[in-house]
Amino acid sequence: MPTVAKVWIEEDCITCDACEDILPEVFEVTDDTSHIKAEVREDGSTDRNTGFSAIKTEFRSEFSELIEEAADACPVEIIKFEYEGGAVEQAPQEAAPVVEQAPAPVAVATEAGADAGVLAGVLSGDRSLAIFFGSQTGNAAGLAEKSAKMAAAYGLEATVIDMDGYDVSQFASHKRILIITSTWGEGEMPDNADELWNATCSSNPALGGVHYSVCAIGDSSYDEYCKAGIDWDEKFAALGATRNHEIKLCDVDFEDPWKEWVNSVLPRIACVDSSGIFQEELVEAMIAYGSGDEEDGGFDGDFTPGQIEHAELSITMRIFRYNPIMAQSGYDTVAVAIPGHASIEDALVAIKREVDGSLTFRSGSVAGQNPLTGVKANGRILPADTTRICDLVSDGDTLTIEPIPGYDVVKDLMVSYDRFDTERANSKPWMEADPRQGERLISGAPMGVMTSAEATRLHTLADVGSLQLVNAMSDTYDVDDEYSGPGLALQRWVRSQDPRSGEDHVTQMFELMQRKGGVWDEADISSIKRHGIDGSQAADSLYAARSRLLAEYKFSGRSGRLVKHYSRSVKMSGNVNETTLYRSVLGPLGLGSNIMNGVSLRMMLGFTRNGGPMMRGFQGMLVPPAGIGKIPNMFNSKVANHHEVVAIFNELDSRF
Amino acid sequence: MVKYSYYPGNVARQSSSEVEDTIQPLCRSLGIELVEIVGYNSDGGNIIKQGNNDLQLALNARNIALAEKNGHDIITACASAQGILHDSLETFRNDPIALANANTVLSKTTGMTAEADEITTNHLLHVLVDEIGLDKVEAAVLNPLDLDIACYYGPHMQREGACGGDDAWNPTYMERLMSALGGRPIEYKTKTSSVGNPSLLSLGDSVMKMTARVLNDAKSAGAQILVSACTQSHSNLDSYQGKAGRVANKDTDIPVVNLTELIAFALGHFPDRFAQLRTRALLIGS
Repeated sequence: MPTVAKVWIEEDCITCDACEDILPEVFEVTDDTSHIKAEVREDGSTDRNTGFSAIKTEFRSEFSELIEEAADACPVEIIKFEYEGGAVEQAPQEAAPVVEQAPAPVAVATEAGADAGVLAGVLSGDRSLAIFFGSQTGNAAGLAEKSAKMAAAYGLEATVIDMDGYDVSQFASHKRILIITSTWGEGEMPDNADELWNATCSSNPALGGVHYSVCAIGDSSYDEYCKAGIDWDEKFAALGATRNHEIKLCDVDFEDPWKEWVNSVLPRIACVDSSGIFQEELVEAMIAYGSGDEEDGGFDGDFTPGQIEHAELSITMRIFRYNPIMAQSGYDTVAVAIPGHASIEDALVAIKREVDGSLTFRSGSVAGQNPLTGVKANGRILPADTTRICDLVSDGDTLTIEPIPGYDVVKDLMVSYDRFDTERANSKPWMEADPRQGERLISGAPMGVMTSAEATRLHTLADVGSLQLVNAMSDTYDVDDEYSGPGLALQRWVRSQDPRSGEDHVTQMFELMQRKGGVWDEADISSIKRHGIDGSQAADSLYAARSRLLAEYKFSGRSGRLVKHYSRSVKMSGNVNETTLYRSVLGPLGLGSNIMNGVSLRMMLGFTRNGGPMMRGFQGMLVPPAGIGKIPNMFNSKVANHHEVVAIFNELDSRF
Repeated sequence: MVKYSYYPGNVARQSSSEVEDTIQPLCRSLGIELVEIVGYNSDGGNIIKQGNNDLQLALNARNIALAEKNGHDIITACASAQGILHDSLETFRNDPIALANANTVLSKTTGMTAEADEITTNHLLHVLVDEIGLDKVEAAVLNPLDLDIACYYGPHMQREGACGGDDAWNPTYMERLMSALGGRPIEYKTKTSSVGNPSLLSLGDSVMKMTARVLNDAKSAGAQILVSACTQSHSNLDSYQGKAGRVANKDTDIPVVNLTELIAFALGHFPDRFAQLRTRALLIGS
């Protein structure tokens, strides 16, 4: 067994006394650091032994094992030693937990004030920055958000982390940490930081690889001014973290001192490279590099919002699987622990990587929502790349992921959009501007004329994330192969409303909406309207389109007859007269079909199923056939003050 | 007694009189007083809206104004009516111009105006769970249902704000209510899917396929009967059941009842009808 020839202490001792407890003959802990005692050293000095003086020969074999044990026990791993023969050993390091993150684009300031060439090394690799906030009233959280936005200018990928619920053991996984915290009451931690502070104090995690700085907010009229921030600053230093920038104490007018701090600390902490080494000589270059984004207080914008981190969720995911070769389908069930802020796509990527590489789905792009990533998640039609898990389920819940309905499934969650593409091409949704009213250029080409209010209205109408997903929101689209769907109906309606569209093109859009496969094929608009803003937008457009088409085509077709006779029925008595409505809308052929299919019989015999009066069932046989004058007012009694209903109709729509 | 202004919807006092038959006694049993909205009119069924949105809004404004005169929030037993009333109230609250326009017409034609600020509209289901309490419902049960029951919500009221405290996408209120009534709720996939009722008379095969999808899902999941919270959709699910099965080539034979019927039966009303239902469930249920 080799014996230890030299032992020394590196910087950042936290004076925990562990080494002295194990081997007081060699280690002596003062207020500042641990020392190697003079008695055991060749040079007879008592200090950290940075001159690497050898241990006296007579002590080597006796203390070797205990020196190794002390080095092993050192929480900040600063006891180093060398064996006889020159081999340098150190206590085995436990691998720091790694936080896996979905690949994210590194925001780089394109208008930077310096050539990025000299910074290429430091700007590559892991560029994560964790910004923790301890906040009672939201001020610190707001500053953390702003700091995160500014960090992008220095090539940092900032994540804003609420201290509440954070796992203390994960501190060591970060290379760069900023802490922004207020102080509450008489020098106390804010509520959201209290638990993490206590956990940190009790577990004393080793933070040897962490570079950090603290911005403390307080009120100088209190005795314990900024104490919470000062506590974090001192604690991190004691745990071995490297103070990258001095703590900043901010009084009640915290905005200016925070700006001073953040402008100073960001280029410094951005110079911590991916291996965790602070490249101090690059700070000036980094300041110049990041200066392009700092003008005009650019951090107040919304271009690079910080990401709020949500607690990890343990959920069960049921994922639809379809193997086209075997023609087999079913569900896989996977237990998943995932950050709440992760997207559905993040979860699918993780499962594909760690559980089943054959899982197939469409992934989005870093540029934002991809209209083709839609899935059905617990019944909702949603884009997988921009929908967070925490917005769908809570801890312990089950999340069922299925392909969106209405499209052929290619494999697992991937569907074919051929149907949509074909129907869209057939509907010619592109602009055909001529002939129409408007201005003409000297060349004779038409030029669009539109008021800003009209432009805004059109943009609002068309402002949906994915027409493909809007189609899938319809419960009808899935069962009617000829229906082009509410997404395309929306597109056609917007085109028909565009004052730049030529008259022929508008007519063409109306015809497409009116005929088979158009807006009347939607069986229930309410099934679309429930799907959030996009669904509501599409539903409103369908109603508007139908209203316009009824006027244009004078209530023709069975759908037109339904609206006309339903409305007249209500006007006549105040309520719907279903019995006559059937005949007026269906006509003789429709009634005949109902008789042949047993529908009329089931209506007549309804009393046998619900116990209602027999005459109620038989009355369906007693009314005249369709098409004879107005709907007879023969079964409904008029509502009280029926004249009011008639007056409302007369006031708003004389067509009924 | 809890008081509500009662809006029967478009069919409870027409073709679906069994709803009217049963809601009155069940509400008495549970301490709910249904105050008549005298002179109420049709909500337009989202069909009048297709021809003239302002007209449907004005008709609903009249109902709201009448209910406000009563001084009670609105209750209905039809999911479709609940959805439409909720939409109208939401429009009036978010769009002062729409409210002003409706009130201009209303004032001119009826002398009333709608405030549409504090009044709420509620489906009976949500009143029972959120207001009355399932413990009280359970305590009032005289004839436990003892059936495997699939619950149909439909899409109309399954939106945030329109379905009480229930989950709009994965509702459980009706299942919990069925358990309280001594039934055994069955889970199936399409309980909030549309059966295409607004287009029952104007569209053919697609509405039948949508209807058959729900019925077949419920039956395949092991349900003996299906209970509908939507009086309008009941027409598709019941009268068109056979046609839907033939068009979609699916097994759709299953007794379908309205929610009010089943609650009334469990609370001891209409034992003859309940016996009839149990017999039908035994004969044609799964």
